[in-house]
Amino acid sequence: MRFAYFPGCKIQHHLPEYGSSVEAVCNALDIELVKLEFNCCGWPVRHENELASIYSAVRNFAQAEAAGLSIMTPCKCCFGNLKYASHRLAEDPKLSESVAYLLAQDGLSMPKSMDAFHLLTILDEQVGAEFLRRRTAIPLSGVKVACHYGCHALRPGNVTGFDDPLAPTLFERIIQALGAETVDWDLRLECCGHPLRGRDDIISQALMRKKVEGAKEAGADIIVTACTYCQLQFDRERAKLPRTDLAYQAPPAVLVTQLIGKALGLDAYEVGLNKNHIPWHAPVL
Amino acid sequence: MDFFDFGLILASVIFIAGAARRIVRWFAAGKSTAPDRNSLNPIKAVWALIFDGLLLARTGRTDKLRWISHTLVFFGFMGLLLFHALDDYVTAAFFPAFESTLDPWQWLRNLFGLMTLSGLAYMGHRRFHTRTVRDTSRFQDWAAILLVAGIILSGFFLEASKIISPAVFTRMTNEFFVPDEAGDMTALKAYWADEYGVVFPETLPMDEDTLEKGAELNQDSCADCHSNTKSAFVSRPLATAMMPLANSLNVSRADKVFWYLHIVFCFIGLATLPFGKFFHPLSAPVNLAARQGRRDGAPAGPFAQMVGLDACTRCGECSVRCSVAPSYAVLGNKDILPSEKLVSLGKYRSEGSLSGHDLEDFAQGSRICTECLQCTDICPVGINLQDLWLTSKPEVAAESPDPNQAVRAMDAVTRSSGLGEEPCLPPVYGLADNKESFHGCVQCTTCTSVCPVVAVSEDPSTDLDLTPQQIMNLLRMGLKDETLGARMVWSCTTCYKCQEHCPQNIKVADILYELRNTAAARIGRDRFKGEC
Repeated sequence: MRFAYFPGCKIQHHLPEYGSSVEAVCNALDIELVKLEFNCCGWPVRHENELASIYSAVRNFAQAEAAGLSIMTPCKCCFGNLKYASHRLAEDPKLSESVAYLLAQDGLSMPKSMDAFHLLTILDEQVGAEFLRRRTAIPLSGVKVACHYGCHALRPGNVTGFDDPLAPTLFERIIQALGAETVDWDLRLECCGHPLRGRDDIISQALMRKKVEGAKEAGADIIVTACTYCQLQFDRERAKLPRTDLAYQAPPAVLVTQLIGKALGLDAYEVGLNKNHIPWHAPVL
Repeated sequence: MDFFDFGLILASVIFIAGAARRIVRWFAAGKSTAPDRNSLNPIKAVWALIFDGLLLARTGRTDKLRWISHTLVFFGFMGLLLFHALDDYVTAAFFPAFESTLDPWQWLRNLFGLMTLSGLAYMGHRRFHTRTVRDTSRFQDWAAILLVAGIILSGFFLEASKIISPAVFTRMTNEFFVPDEAGDMTALKAYWADEYGVVFPETLPMDEDTLEKGAELNQDSCADCHSNTKSAFVSRPLATAMMPLANSLNVSRADKVFWYLHIVFCFIGLATLPFGKFFHPLSAPVNLAARQGRRDGAPAGPFAQMVGLDACTRCGECSVRCSVAPSYAVLGNKDILPSEKLVSLGKYRSEGSLSGHDLEDFAQGSRICTECLQCTDICPVGINLQDLWLTSKPEVAAESPDPNQAVRAMDAVTRSSGLGEEPCLPPVYGLADNKESFHGCVQCTTCTSVCPVVAVSEDPSTDLDLTPQQIMNLLRMGLKDETLGARMVWSCTTCYKCQEHCPQNIKVADILYELRNTAAARIGRDRFKGEC
């Protein structure tokens, strides 16, 4: 398995433990990651200008196609915007024309294939639960996990094609393969609130609070994320709350690759568990 | 005081005053928090100076051709500076028998000059042929290349015009040659015309005997200080090329003209050194030593920030590789590109603020930046750009609000008034203007009831102005302007639940995105208005 690794903009500076754990886990599962010179997926600028957003996304597809690879990203927002861009180009010839013109200005041409996968899809379809189960060195027995799906991979379902947008099971399959228990969490498909950071901090905070407290009520030990922004919200932003705050004390957020890494027996430092701002005191397994 | 002394003193005074001004600014900025000496590891700093400074390791990491060209210019120019410009102090001190017209010095001068010129040629080529770099090149970028090229070219022309000059020949023979017998001077002239390329106005006998005699006289009186000009492998061919015009050049004393030109170029070089990017030969090493080989974006403090602002060579690598450069291609705001945003930040810092359009551009460039660290990782002189952006983003956002803040700062009446006229940038999507995109809406309120933002809002009509379903209803009635400022549009968290659950397949979330785009275009970027 060989993919063009698309970390997205936030990992390198803001969430390096996601980058290091993705690379460690993929290495352990024989997924080869090729680093290309990608630009932004275009999601952040979509609030300001759609053409800029779509052009950013398509430029990445052109780079991946030149390398003969499909894109694999661990970020749900990057994944969502890449999928959205290819969907929009297919439905709007006028937009497609504008993008082709911009590409030509840069000496590029419209990519013929626009394949983007989220890391979870690769783990589920290409690696498979059975393989994960076999490779699990330390089964996470007794760990109760709340799977946080992340909006932009899930919806709109007809654009992303990630899983059933109303009743997905993909994330749970992977977590259960590691020996952990997944909890029934009413809010697992709800928004983390990060997209509103800087725009409406009050509602962003309220969305986060509702979610993490909901995970606690569902009996979870940890919330597992598979998106850079969700983790930034549940870890970095939440860590700014006072330690006595109920939301701070709710289950900590752990990246899916940190959890898999732990199950595979990788070093806790390699998967950056020490870098989480709200630590998970993992039980001795 | 002659021309040379006067020029040198004037250029030096400008240089010292200018450099002092910039260095004082570094320390003034860092006064509140003095440079952290504990974090400065001298071994790492020296290592960085050698590796990243002298050997340009950071440049080599990203672009081999650029590394070759910069290395050629750096070592070529330093060779000329030390062994030619400062020959009385450097070359003569190490090599007591030094004469500038002896080899290897004559040969080396040509080599260093050619190295510098070829490096500059590639730099000019790259600046012209790399689109982003060409678009962002300013006067000083071209001036820097042309000035150094002017120094080298005038030097080559000076040497070539001296090679062909009989006046220079006569000056030398008056001083160092005493003819024993009549015909000696003619023989020496014939030999120098034949071998060394001097072009005399009179016709000289070129027979074997005369040339042999000339060779002997040359050996006795000239050769100790004069290598054959053939070793000047650039200037001599240049002199040969000049031969058709040699007599008129010699009569008009072209050698003196080129001497003045060469000296004036050098003085301009010295005087402009402390200004703009011309300062980078001094500021970049300081920044590299301070960074000690790091490529991260950890907070660095005001002193390091100020040095970083001054260290930019304007090579444009950051802008070529900027993660949001595609947004620049669409929006046309150069401040989206790091190298240009850095110039604006420099102005913003030194002038306290920016005015009108400049501030608007700088603010948009700042907020579109995704803080991906790419520019910081790439920067050949190790500027901690990430730290500069992370510090300046909130400052400029407070001065020039983004569309979201601007909408929230408006009163309810203004918010529902349409946010001004439509700008030149057309909305791309057109969902909100196209009846088909919402005419299936039956106002069932599903979008509102699944919306997590409405759910956490204590009082939606006070917090959000309108609910998603109310926005769809206004659009159905053709009242798009009334929706643009609704805080619901801006507080949409883009979770797409409304769109996923809509029984009529209305693209509710996509429409809200589009309304934000339209409003952003109407509020911001004043310069695009009224110019369609």
